[in-house]
Amino acid sequence: MRHKGPIFTLLAGLALAAVLMVLNLTATNRNRNNGDNAANAGANATATTTSELGTAPTTAPATAAPTKAPPAAQVTYAGRGSGGGATIAIAIKDGKAVAYLCDGNRAEAWLQGTASNGELKLAGSGNATLMGSYGNGVAAGAISATGKKWTFAVGTVKAPSGLYRAAANVRNARIVGGWIVLANGEQVGVLNVAGEEQPAPPLNTATNTTTVDGTVITANPVDGTGL
Amino acid sequence: MSSDFEPPTDPAYRPVAPSTAPAAPTAPTPALSANATLLVPLLVGGVVAVAVGVYGRLHEPSHIAVSLAGFSGPLTVKVWLTTGVLLFALVQLVSALMMYGKIPGVAAPSWTGTLHRWSGRSAFLLAVPVAIHCLYAVGLQFDEPRVIVHSLLGCFFFGAFTAKMLVLSKKGTPAWALPLLGGLVFTALVGLWLSASLWFFATQGIKF
Repeated sequence: MRHKGPIFTLLAGLALAAVLMVLNLTATNRNRNNGDNAANAGANATATTTSELGTAPTTAPATAAPTKAPPAAQVTYAGRGSGGGATIAIAIKDGKAVAYLCDGNRAEAWLQGTASNGELKLAGSGNATLMGSYGNGVAAGAISATGKKWTFAVGTVKAPSGLYRAAANVRNARIVGGWIVLANGEQVGVLNVAGEEQPAPPLNTATNTTTVDGTVITANPVDGTGL
Repeated sequence: MSSDFEPPTDPAYRPVAPSTAPAAPTAPTPALSANATLLVPLLVGGVVAVAVGVYGRLHEPSHIAVSLAGFSGPLTVKVWLTTGVLLFALVQLVSALMMYGKIPGVAAPSWTGTLHRWSGRSAFLLAVPVAIHCLYAVGLQFDEPRVIVHSLLGCFFFGAFTAKMLVLSKKGTPAWALPLLGGLVFTALVGLWLSASLWFFATQGIKF
């Protein structure tokens, strides 16, 4: 007994780990299917499908079925930058990338560039730059924008989390809004109204709409190929 | 003990400083075969540590995982489970010291061994869900010093624990092996708690 006990302890831990792993895989699949249903046009739904279980989704609509075209894979990374304050999202597709940095209040920056061989090189107006790497579920690097610098290391997010952008004219004012929806559903966004930045109104991620000055405008998921 | 005052012929045996305390009984040099019994446990422990790390690096973080009812989020679940593990580990430390007679004036009661075994099992079973969540939802990361330390300690902890369990189940292992491995497991756990739970309490406050 004394010499078998530790082995049983190890086996019990292994069994517990296996059970939890199966529960996690099941939960991930269920969550992914729910996410696909909620995704508007499924633009973000193809993001990094790593289906470990071979089971077919039971509730996913036909349009959201996992596509078999890895070269066109779209992936969005989102999270907070170093020291808080700034939130960052990077959408990547077909070697191109769009990044958005904002503080949810008055500071924001849109950047565009390339994402290839695990390297990110983006630039934006006002000498904004983003250099970094991506892969294995994490994008990391440094941003210089609005006269400040941040470092970041953020993970992938799945629809409806991600990066959204709205551009419209409301009462002769050019309006551009950017929203980062974090993995936990929290939104950080800035609305640029005729060159003046202000906190963005909440985005309805079920309909991809928001209301500015009484006018309903639509935001589109940013996939990385352009603004 | 007159030999203490004679110049030893071999300089390797010369005492560094004269000691007033009675010389500790020198442990018999472990036979090579006793050390050899450690080979398999240490190898398996090493494989476990590396396997945990490789999985954590290769598996794409899901950022979601099964949570536990009663807590506000997976992070708080982990923080409190780890705190529970630490409490059991403290029981482990004290009961082990008692069994080895290292607490002056305390004779280990007959149930100390049972207490040690079951507190250890409880600690291990509480630690497994934490590790699974870390590995599945986050993975092995190197973003900042705290995360690097935590990632590596996590791999080391499960490797060292596996090695300790395997040494326990073997006969004829060197006497120093168990205290050393147990001490390493305990030290790794304290490091894990400091780099995660204490960090959480310090930055987020005490939350459930």
